[in-house]
Amino acid sequence: MITSVLNWLETSAKQYFNKTIFTDSQQSISFSEFNRLTKSIGSYLAAFVDPGSPVIVMSGRHLFTPACFLGIVRAGCFYAPMDAEMPLARLNQIINVIKAEYMLVDKKHLDIAQNLDFNGKIIVVEDIINTPHNEMLLNKATSNLNELSPLYVIFTSGSTGVPKGVITSHHSLMCYIDAVCSVLKADESDVFGNQSPLDYIAAIRDIYIPIKTGASTVIIPKNEFSMPAKLFETLNKNKVTALCWSVAGIELPAKLGAFDILKPQYLKKVCFSGSVMPCKYLKIWQKNLPDVMYVNQYGPTEATASCTYYIVDKEVSDDTVLPIGVPYENYTITLLNENGTAVKNGEIGEICVSGPILALGYYGNPEKTAESFIQNPLNNNYRELIYKTGDLGSYNKDGLLEFHGRKDRQIKHMGHRIELGEIEETAKQIKGVLDCCALYNKKKEHLYLFYTGDASSKEIVLHFRKVLPGFMSPRKLVNLENMPVLPNGKTDMQALKSYFK
Amino acid sequence: MEILNELRPDVDFENETALIEDGILDSFDIVALVGELNDAFDIEIKPNDLVPENFNSAKAMMNLIEQLQD
Repeated sequence: MITSVLNWLETSAKQYFNKTIFTDSQQSISFSEFNRLTKSIGSYLAAFVDPGSPVIVMSGRHLFTPACFLGIVRAGCFYAPMDAEMPLARLNQIINVIKAEYMLVDKKHLDIAQNLDFNGKIIVVEDIINTPHNEMLLNKATSNLNELSPLYVIFTSGSTGVPKGVITSHHSLMCYIDAVCSVLKADESDVFGNQSPLDYIAAIRDIYIPIKTGASTVIIPKNEFSMPAKLFETLNKNKVTALCWSVAGIELPAKLGAFDILKPQYLKKVCFSGSVMPCKYLKIWQKNLPDVMYVNQYGPTEATASCTYYIVDKEVSDDTVLPIGVPYENYTITLLNENGTAVKNGEIGEICVSGPILALGYYGNPEKTAESFIQNPLNNNYRELIYKTGDLGSYNKDGLLEFHGRKDRQIKHMGHRIELGEIEETAKQIKGVLDCCALYNKKKEHLYLFYTGDASSKEIVLHFRKVLPGFMSPRKLVNLENMPVLPNGKTDMQALKSYFK
Repeated sequence: MEILNELRPDVDFENETALIEDGILDSFDIVALVGELNDAFDIEIKPNDLVPENFNSAKAMMNLIEQLQD
């Protein structure tokens, strides 16, 4: 029986020995060499790290980063990746939630690591990649590993201003990867082009599909996404066959006119997720690459990446709205209305997910976990947890699930989940901001902050850039004399929306 | 310059010369920037113009704009 991702790695390392698993801008690595790296990193850690504890990884867009992840697993531990490009204040928040004793960093980010409020031991990856293997130690470290052992903690925006760490088991990840591989028909002939930051949930496909199937992944340098010709050149040079990108990532080359210069020649499958796909951009892809299979995915980090999928089966037009489709294998979807009963067919309800793919909860936050992962109200007979996504959905006449936005004030911007409440909490930390309201202009993809007080817009943006990732910084700032209010005293958001242009 | 400063007030556009190579401007900044520059200067920045050399500094962007205005 397969109990952890290490079983996958052992098998593929034998079967695809000399084949390339990962390529970055500098080098490529074979399955066997990758496996060797993970054993070195694991042997180093297992000598002093307690199995079952978290290890932070802060490492760039290169192939040592997935090696760190799996190396940590080999030491019987789980990993918590952080993006070094985030502001120090954000990284410190994550450190504070995870409370790890060890952090793996690459040389390039050592300076940043040393400037964080981190009291544990910092280990430089490059220094330990040749550690001699200690099989006995590795076996001992993983002897208590079972399917439900945690694999990773991935952080997402929290409405109170503190990021939430979603902790996921080996079993959940393996269920998802199995399901997505069968839909994409992924096999060893595939080459994936990685766009997602490696610390982000979307990267689990690019990391684990190769480990399971013998495919390989090319980690594309981030700045190529600004320069579309270079991006497509890289796809062609590496004979990339499959992309699992955020919607924002798929939009970019279409927006920047990349297809006018050259076309990706080897692509067969393109799957996208993270937000609603504006079909005017998908149309451009379809027109230029009509033989590619396009897959729309939907799902939250809490249910391991994606719950449902829809294979686009016709040419789209500018105003097509794609359904989010049908559940992946091992995912069960229930639509509940406000009082916790099932909706009638065709009615809109909150999308609730159950199955072995549910995350283990929010790390170090039992209250929030209990709030979001609840007993299925339709089941009084035995324990069955569901995750309430906060997303609204309904079934159309073809039995496909359609997406109807959020119940609350969470938005999707540039492929990232953002709680508008977190933006407001952050703005209120600034002295010159008295009252404020964050809103999203979906059409223009502009994040607005309306505020009263004498802070300058520059002051505000500088503060945001200091404490939050760039995508969370408001693009449009509107200083008001007074906040418009409704008779009940709440901010009149509709009045504010008249400022959108 | 005004456009740049409004887009990213945290960046020193006077002195930076590797805005793209150092990853200071990301792809979303570029999309926003291209739209704003096209509108402000009545030009059309083409995909072929999107190379690091044209966007690495404020000066390079000015050169590109002047070139496109001719």
